[in-house]
Amino acid sequence: MDAPIELTGEQEKFRAEVCELLCEDSVRVAVARSRRMPYGQETGLLDVHRRLGERGWLAVNWPPEYGGLGASLVEKAILTEELILHGVPDTVHTLGIDIVGLAVHLFGTEEQRRRLLPGLARGETTASVLFSEPAIGSDLASLTTRAEPDGDGWRLYGRKRYSMKTHLSDFALCAARTSSGPVSYHGITLFIVPLRSVGVSIDPLWNLSDERFDDVTLSGIRVTRADVLGEVDDGWQVINRILPLERTGIDSAAKAARLLDALLRHADATGRLAEPVYTQRLLDLDARVRAARLLAWRCVLNLRTGRPDEVHSATAKWYASEVAKELSGLALEVTGLDGVLDAHDAAAVADGVFDAAYREAPGLTLAAGTSEIMLYFVGTSGLGLPS
Amino acid sequence: MTAFAEFLDTELAPLVRRMADRPRHPDGASDESGNRQIRAMVWQGLAEIGLPTRQQDLVELAELLGSVLYQGPLLDTVSAGSLLARAGLDGLIRKGEAVALAIRAHGAASPAELAPVVAEHGLISARRCFVGFAAEVEHLVVVGDRLALVPRDHPTVTLRRYEETGRGELFDVRFTGTPVTAWIGDGEQWHPLLAAARIRQAAYLVGLSQGALDLAVRRATSRRQFGQPIGRFQALAFRLAELSIRVDAARLLARAAARDADRGLDARLAAAQSLATAAELARTVTTAAMQIHGAAGMAADNDAQVFYRRAAIEALWLGSPTQLRREATPLLIERVSDR
Repeated sequence: MDAPIELTGEQEKFRAEVCELLCEDSVRVAVARSRRMPYGQETGLLDVHRRLGERGWLAVNWPPEYGGLGASLVEKAILTEELILHGVPDTVHTLGIDIVGLAVHLFGTEEQRRRLLPGLARGETTASVLFSEPAIGSDLASLTTRAEPDGDGWRLYGRKRYSMKTHLSDFALCAARTSSGPVSYHGITLFIVPLRSVGVSIDPLWNLSDERFDDVTLSGIRVTRADVLGEVDDGWQVINRILPLERTGIDSAAKAARLLDALLRHADATGRLAEPVYTQRLLDLDARVRAARLLAWRCVLNLRTGRPDEVHSATAKWYASEVAKELSGLALEVTGLDGVLDAHDAAAVADGVFDAAYREAPGLTLAAGTSEIMLYFVGTSGLGLPS
Repeated sequence: MTAFAEFLDTELAPLVRRMADRPRHPDGASDESGNRQIRAMVWQGLAEIGLPTRQQDLVELAELLGSVLYQGPLLDTVSAGSLLARAGLDGLIRKGEAVALAIRAHGAASPAELAPVVAEHGLISARRCFVGFAAEVEHLVVVGDRLALVPRDHPTVTLRRYEETGRGELFDVRFTGTPVTAWIGDGEQWHPLLAAARIRQAAYLVGLSQGALDLAVRRATSRRQFGQPIGRFQALAFRLAELSIRVDAARLLARAAARDADRGLDARLAAAQSLATAAELARTVTTAAMQIHGAAGMAADNDAQVFYRRAAIEALWLGSPTQLRREATPLLIERVSDR
């Protein structure tokens, strides 16, 4: 799919090469299989991640010494879009590269970067995020997981819920309280926690989507100074820097674009595309999906030029995820009951993409900052309303 | 109506909500035979109270059923009963027996599209998609240009259960030379019956919306972030208030359509409009309930996601809102030009 901004010849070539790899039969078969796993099973890294990693494309914007090609965020956005447009499950990539990898890249020590980034970039290791807790979501500063001093390190105690892919990951970025005082934002520290260790237990929390939540209990796993990302007690700064960088809306906008493409094809095949009552709504959503991509790409260009903009990020994240959610509802409207058949049903249309999108949609406006928090940013930072 | 409300009380309601839900994850612990028993018990309880016949009473019952997410053949049985009554054949369904309507031919966009029902020597061969609770009814009504009552438990009737968003009891049904118990009408009878069924479905969706809204309000009251209940934030409070108003409006619309039908007026336009309104509302309210619950609402043990799943099916059940408006367009033009 063409980017809504002007790309250089090199960037166009990169998109074409990524696209070519993702269109190979073996990749398509593996992707289709990953979407039809037996109920309760899900994929982590696929072979396609390793193949992209071998070429340095998975984290293409990271320097070569960490497994990338030193390209810009435009190339990275191209890669993210193409993965999603080709239906490659994206959670592993978002968590490992776009959130945890980004945090290590920006705030890690040289030792941490060399230890953690190349594996992520090669598609050989994965990482998850342990922020949310049973009673803590948007109000992250109130988190209760605690790090208790233990010699030259700490032991972590607490419960993290609603994380994804933790059971398939090698390590996680975990927010825990190292000290408490009058200002709740102070005293949070980010730790890099190995997951396959004593002191970490992971239970599934089955849910609406195809991917389980993980219910993670930390019962005294030991971490040291070398596992701290950023400064002790100053994790809030890191969280506040990385989340807006991850919130470009590129992923939701690409999901919406992929769904719209499948929907338009279905509407064409069933004749509904030519019926004004359907066409009007499809035209409206088609325009809004394009607008979502434009907002998302504006964020990419902001980052590219070193001028991240919190309001632009919140705008793009809100708009793209809300459009994707609305589109998932409209899709069922156009397909009728055929659209509710899931990928496991022999009669499923478009490989069950409409059912999957409907079940994925509620998470889009919750993960990485809820829609309400995005509107809060736009209202306060953008419009200057009292906070 | 009080008898129904008392039967579907707060103790039974949580069981009813999940009595047709088959979780697919490994430790879903879906007790299928237990669920079947609950469905049979609920069916028996409802049938014993005795079903009303006036549309106005039926819509109130449908609202109640929607609010507890009742899943079962009751509304189809009501429709079949009124078809049989009109044909003077009420005796064919005994008290306590259930009927499912087999309406949609493969690829049909709407239950208003009637496929031919072909019979040779009194035996019919047909396929009907998205038939609810086909595995646990005694009779099926095959809907098309003619309407046939057939037995369900017959070797020529085969069922395939769908894997779908609602995880409920939806079947692809094939008839291969099935004997007809009785011919009970044709397309002429179907359209007014469909209008009446759509009004009941609108009421069911109003109830479903109210049930999801009640859940969301409870969550907004109990969940605390930033030191206060999240319902105190205007972003949430205003949204819940607006949805509450819209549920009320949709309820009155469905009830007014029922009154028109009871008076013998042509209710097709009112039926399509009230169902389209209620169906869109149900999707909106259940989606908002998901958002207000946060990730907790997605968890398998949370009823918010059950409402969200069911809304996908129920909002399309007798035609999608877009399809309903498409069908209503000529009726509106007719109404305007009659003035």
